[in-house]
Parts: sequence; C-alpha cells; structure tokens
Amino acid sequence: MSSCSPTDRRRVAVTGVGVITPLGDTPVLLSAALRSGRTGIAPVELFEPDGMKCRQAFEVRGFNARQYLGDGNLRPLDRSAQLVAAAAHLALGASGWTTERRQQQEVGLVLGTMFGSVHTISAFDRRALTDGPIYAKPMDFANSVINAAAGQTAIWHGLRGVNSTVSGGTTSGLQALAYASDLIRTGKAETVLAGGGEELCFESYYGFYRAGLVAGSHNGHGPLAVPFDARRNGFIPGEGAALLMLEEMSAARRRGASILAEVHGWGMGYDASRGRDGERATGAMRRAICDALEDSDTAAQTIAAVSSSASGSIEGDRNEALGIAAALGREVPVTAVKSMLGEAFGASGALQAVALMQTMVSGVLPGVRGFERADDAIPSAMVSGCNRELDLDHGLVTAVGLDGNTCALVLGNGRNGTCQKTEEA
Amino acid sequence: MIEARSVVVTGIGAVTPIGSGRQAFWEALLAGRSGIGPVTSFDTSRYRVHHGAEVRDFSAAEHIEVLDPENLGRASQMAIAAARMALEDAELEVTADNCGRVGVAMGTTSGEPCEIEHFDDCWVAEELARVGPRFMSLYPCHVIAGHVAGELGCEGPNLMIPAACAAGNYAFATALDLVRAGRADVVVAGGADCFSRITYTGFARLGAIAPECCQPFDKNRRGMIPGEGAAVMVFESRERAEARGASIYAEIVGYGLSCDAHHMTAAHPEGDGASRAMAQALATSGLEAEEVDYISAHGTGTPTNDRLETLAVKKVFGDHARQVPISSIKSMLGHTMGAASAIEGAVCALAISEGKIPPTIHYRDPDPECDLDVVPNEARDHEVEVAMSNAYAFGGNNASVVFRRCPA
Repeated sequence: MSSCSPTDRRRVAVTGVGVITPLGDTPVLLSAALRSGRTGIAPVELFEPDGMKCRQAFEVRGFNARQYLGDGNLRPLDRSAQLVAAAAHLALGASGWTTERRQQQEVGLVLGTMFGSVHTISAFDRRALTDGPIYAKPMDFANSVINAAAGQTAIWHGLRGVNSTVSGGTTSGLQALAYASDLIRTGKAETVLAGGGEELCFESYYGFYRAGLVAGSHNGHGPLAVPFDARRNGFIPGEGAALLMLEEMSAARRRGASILAEVHGWGMGYDASRGRDGERATGAMRRAICDALEDSDTAAQTIAAVSSSASGSIEGDRNEALGIAAALGREVPVTAVKSMLGEAFGASGALQAVALMQTMVSGVLPGVRGFERADDAIPSAMVSGCNRELDLDHGLVTAVGLDGNTCALVLGNGRNGTCQKTEEA
Repeated sequence: MIEARSVVVTGIGAVTPIGSGRQAFWEALLAGRSGIGPVTSFDTSRYRVHHGAEVRDFSAAEHIEVLDPENLGRASQMAIAAARMALEDAELEVTADNCGRVGVAMGTTSGEPCEIEHFDDCWVAEELARVGPRFMSLYPCHVIAGHVAGELGCEGPNLMIPAACAAGNYAFATALDLVRAGRADVVVAGGADCFSRITYTGFARLGAIAPECCQPFDKNRRGMIPGEGAAVMVFESRERAEARGASIYAEIVGYGLSCDAHHMTAAHPEGDGASRAMAQALATSGLEAEEVDYISAHGTGTPTNDRLETLAVKKVFGDHARQVPISSIKSMLGHTMGAASAIEGAVCALAISEGKIPPTIHYRDPDPECDLDVVPNEARDHEVEVAMSNAYAFGGNNASVVFRRCPA
C-alpha cells in the first residue's frame, strides 16, 4: 500500500480534459473566456428558427471535426458524435492515453447526454415518411439510438472498456462523472473517459421553445437568461462536449500522469414531485449535496466554491440556490457558467466541472455574467456576480434537472493527501 | 477484504406481449406461447414485413394511480405498471420515511419514440404549431425513470441508462452497485420500450426483420421481430430482505460490461466484446464457467447474432458450453429492445426460484454453427443455481449479468 493513501479505498484522479465549447476548445481558453466574461451567445446558424421569436443560441461556431479527428471517414458520425469524439481526442491527448497505451489497456467511456441526437432520429423518421420506408437511411438508424455518440466515439478511438450512456436531462453530464467514478472506486474499471455531450438542433430547441422554457419564449419580455437574477425568464440552448479522463489514483501516479483534480464523491437525490413542489425540489438538491459530502468524507466548511447548473430557469435556479444554501449552511460563493455557455443539456455538468477545475488552477472563480440582483427567494450574497479570487482545495459541482433529477459532486484540487512530488518536480 | 454486500431480487413485474404480471408471464413462457402477430400500432403496408410483438391487453389506467396516464408516453406507462407490480410482489411500500433511500435505475433503447414520431408527423404535414408543451415533458428518455419515481414516490438516486438493447442489464448492474455502495437501500430497476415506427423502419431497412416468426439458433432463422414491453425488479440488500421476511427470488452477484469498438450495428466477427463481458461477469461474481446452469441468450434470431453469440459462449465456457442450456425467449416475445434484458433478467431470477427454464420455440433444424443446447420448443425442469443473462446492443455495448440462488 502506498503510504500516501489515507484509506484503502480506491481514489479517482482526473488526468486530462477535452472540451469543445462556444468559448474555445481547451480548458485554458475556456477558463480565460469565462474570467473575462465573454459569452458564446449569437444568432443561431445551424437551423432556421422558423416559427419562433427566439433566435439566440450558444453554438460551437465553425466546428470542424476534421481538425481533431484527421482524415478518417467522418460520414458515420453525426454532429453529436463528432462533438464527443473530438472532445475524446483532446482528453486522450491531454492525459497521455496514446493509441499504443490504449492497445495495452482498456479505456472505458461514460457519456452523459439528454437526447443522443434527436436531430438524426427525426431526420431518419421524416425521410421514411416522405419518401417511403425503403428510402430511410441505415446510417441514420444506427445513430438513432441514444447511446450512438458513445458507440461511435468508442469505435473511432478504440475504447474497448465499459461503455455506457447516462441520461438525466440537464444533470446527465454530472451523473456520468458520478457513475464513472464509482466504476473506478469499486474496481470495475481503471481508466474511464467521462462527461457529456449535446448538439444544438431545431428539434430540441423548438421543443423547449414550445414548452415555454427558452428565455423570452413567452410573456412578451425579451430574453434574459441570467442565472439567479430576479429578471430571468428561461434558459438559452447551447451545445458542446466535455470529457474528463478519470483514472484510479495509484495507477495514474505509477505512470507519472499529472493529477489535475480528484473526484472525491457524489450524491443524487430525486424530487418525486418532479419540480411541482418547491420544497421537495430543494430537499432533493440538499440531500444530493449532503450525500456527496458524506461520500467524500468532506466537511461542508471545506467547500470553498460551487459551480452550479443555474441557467436562467425560473424554478430550477431557485431550487438549486435554496438547496445549496440548506446543505452548506453559509454563504459560499456560487457561480453559474451557463451565463456564458448557455444550457448545453447533457454536456453542462461536465463543463461546470471543468470550469471549477480551472478555478483551482487560476485561483479565480468566474462571476455570473450579467447578474444584477437575485430575486427575493434566493440568498443573494451567495451568488458570485463578479470574478472572485480564491484558493480552492475543494469545490462542489451541482446540477438540478428540469423535472426532478439532482446531482452533486465534490472535486478536490488533487494535491491533498496525494503524492505530489512527482507532479511538482 | 470486506465481504461485498449481498444484493437480492425480491419483486418482479413485467408487461410483455405474452402476458403481464409475474405469474401470467411465467406461465405463458413455460407454455411456449408466441406474442408475435400482424402489427397494429401503425400501417405497415409500405413495408415488406408486417409482424411485430405488441402488448395488446395493456390498460395504463389499471396500474397508474398517482400520475395522469394521459400525460405519459407508452414506455413510461408500461414501466410504471411493471414497477408497481414489482413493488407489490416484493410487498414493499415506499413511504415518506424511506423514499429518500429508494432509487430507480431504468434502461431503454428509444425512450418515448412515439412523441418524436408525432413531432415528425406534424412537421411533414407542415403543422409544427400542433407540437405543444407536451413534447418536451414526455419525450426525453430520462422521463421514464422520472415517471416511475414520480408515481411511486422514490426520491433516491434516479438514473436512466439508454444503452440500447442491452439497457436492462445496464440498469440491473447499476442497481447492484447502488445497493452495494449503500447509496440506496432499495433500487427499482428494469427497462422499457414501446412499439416504434422508427425502430421498425430501421430494422426493416437493415433487412433484419423476420417475415413471421422468430427462430433463434435455427438453421433457417430469418431475423428478429421488433417488440415492446417493460420489466422491473426490486433489488435490496439481503440483510434488509431477510429482516423484513421478504421472499427472495435470487441474488444478483456480478456483471460484465464491454464495448466492441468495432461497428455500430454489427457484432464483432469473433465475438470479442461479448466474450469479454461474459468472462468479466463470471470474474466479478467469483464463479467459474462450469458453475453456470442456464444462459438466457441475447438470441435475437438474426443469422449473425446467434452464430456469434454461440462462438462467444464457446470461447468463455469451453467444453461446458454444450452442457449448459441456453434459450432465447425472443422466440416468443420478439425483441423488446431496452426491455429485453430486463425481462430476461426476470426470467433468470424465476428460473432459479422455480427450477424451470423456458424454451426456444419455433426450433426445427439444427445449425452446426449454433450447436448448443437451446432448450428446443419445450420448457424444462432444471435445477438452476446460477444463471447468466446476455445482452448486446447497437454501439457495440455488451452486458452480461449473473444471478444465483441466494445461499440459505
């Protein structure tokens, strides 16, 4: 046993990150953009926003998968799969999991996604409706399953380990990190790429618009998707992918990997009223956080910042803020990167985690862009409106779904209790 | 080494094309009844195949008490019904006191495909305005797990694992881990899929659908038959089950998950991922291949699947491969997609508790490439201590789960 290990329990290291976002394709670029308060919002270009008065989105403009994936045949990969495969390429590269190393040892993949590709699913179906079933495209059918992006990414990169897809609405990406970290902690896997991915498309955008969830979709007000702000009136859809290379800590150290962060533990709670009862929704978030702290053997006081999933959603932001306040019992600074990245659904939780990891490096917690004042229900002192300098050892990532799911995950900076000498040398 | 917590099955619920409820379903299985017939969910006149395995006698209102069945997709309705039956079967109540410790893990292939199909119908008819707020509250696949929790009041961890046609096994694996890790005391887990135009069109286009009957492992097998259904089992720690005097069907002891990383829709030509999943399932269960008494096959009835599954079983089981009975209930139920391995897991639990194994029906001509004991046509009395359930999916997702008799 390593003398560095405080317990016999397997620990989970983050050894590399890959991101594809509207604000850049490296954690450093993303972090710089978030600290400077840049936003990825722009008029939507991927589709014609017919029949909608909302036209803004957080697109990954000019995304070219070839730039990451090289000359291979990209045709079988739809946009979802391309975003995920590109992020996987970056994470594998950043963590040093070369093709040779992957041939020697299995790497798994756990992907969070809300829809898979509802665009591909719909296109497949509409083709069959208009032209007849024999004209439906087999390749689109292969991608109509919700685990398609995970399957395609595994094929592209030769990931032969555990392959799983997790869907929990906007908590999917965080759930995937939780699920994957348990595979490592229980010894079922040693190396797992985990995170989330989601594409922007007409089908989901229109669905959310019709549900009145997109900022400015009703009430005659202009869109205002500022998390926690009293004036907020919904979220604005986005897209992206973020994958974290999770490795069993001692194995990561043995191969001399950089330990960027540690996943200490997680919790999940469900609100069986599915958002109808604010008290239960808040309770679910509180329970998820308390379970995450207990699972991590971490005291609430050591949590120095929270990377929340607040998006501008009227109910969700309030429930999340109250749940955090109830669990942490004090005014810990809370940020919301969706103010600059939009609601990227399945990708969001993983993006929030990456942002918090970057705060551990930069010492700056990005503020909530556009935030002026919280509504009466939200403890306003906790909302980090401006950038804040802090030395972050332990942070919390939280996610509240649109209909009941909650998840919380404790991240450490990877220095506490680990053999840091090799990394610092 | 600390002994891992033992996790057992104490309740079974199922909605299937050959009957709903544990008892009715099990009797139909042993009788070798087929649930396959002409498709009624949609018009198949433009298709070259016309058969499917639909659930015909299902009334959502009979099972759903808390939520409004009108505001639920069909997969959610069937999932809730199966979950209610499983909880009743387990004689378990979710109360204000224990609800935070009751989790849900569900699997699916397509979620609620009828909702996107309606969306597409509106779009093609240039009537997109007819898509209302319902679409987003009914469609995303995670709502199936959410609806089960909403109906039953489960407030513990809630997970949807859409691992296509292996999803039920992924959900069972998740249930095992959640209970073992102490993240929940009880997990309601299973899979659900409803009959879908998209799924039917896709498999028809791939030429994978058999004209009328599903004949796994038969030399003249001509393909799979798309189906629908749901199955849910109640998982809890053995200590808990014994403390409350629950009857135990079986213990879930281990699982293996792997990825072919080869092709989206075709299995690896040497059964690589499938055999790794089986081997890992045995290893995590602490069992040898020789100890397995029954294998519930993925057994879709397509020429390729059954040949490669046979190959993979031989790789893992060696000489024992020909001794262990392996049957495919898809011969009776068709391929119920994300529900398939959930239903098949329930079959493994029942085989253990009842000492009987269901047959592979429509079996006529042996195929030298599928030369295993496929339990042809007649159910069999057979003591089952250990059963393995195989499931394979698009995306190269493979999952094998092992159940065994709970030691006295």
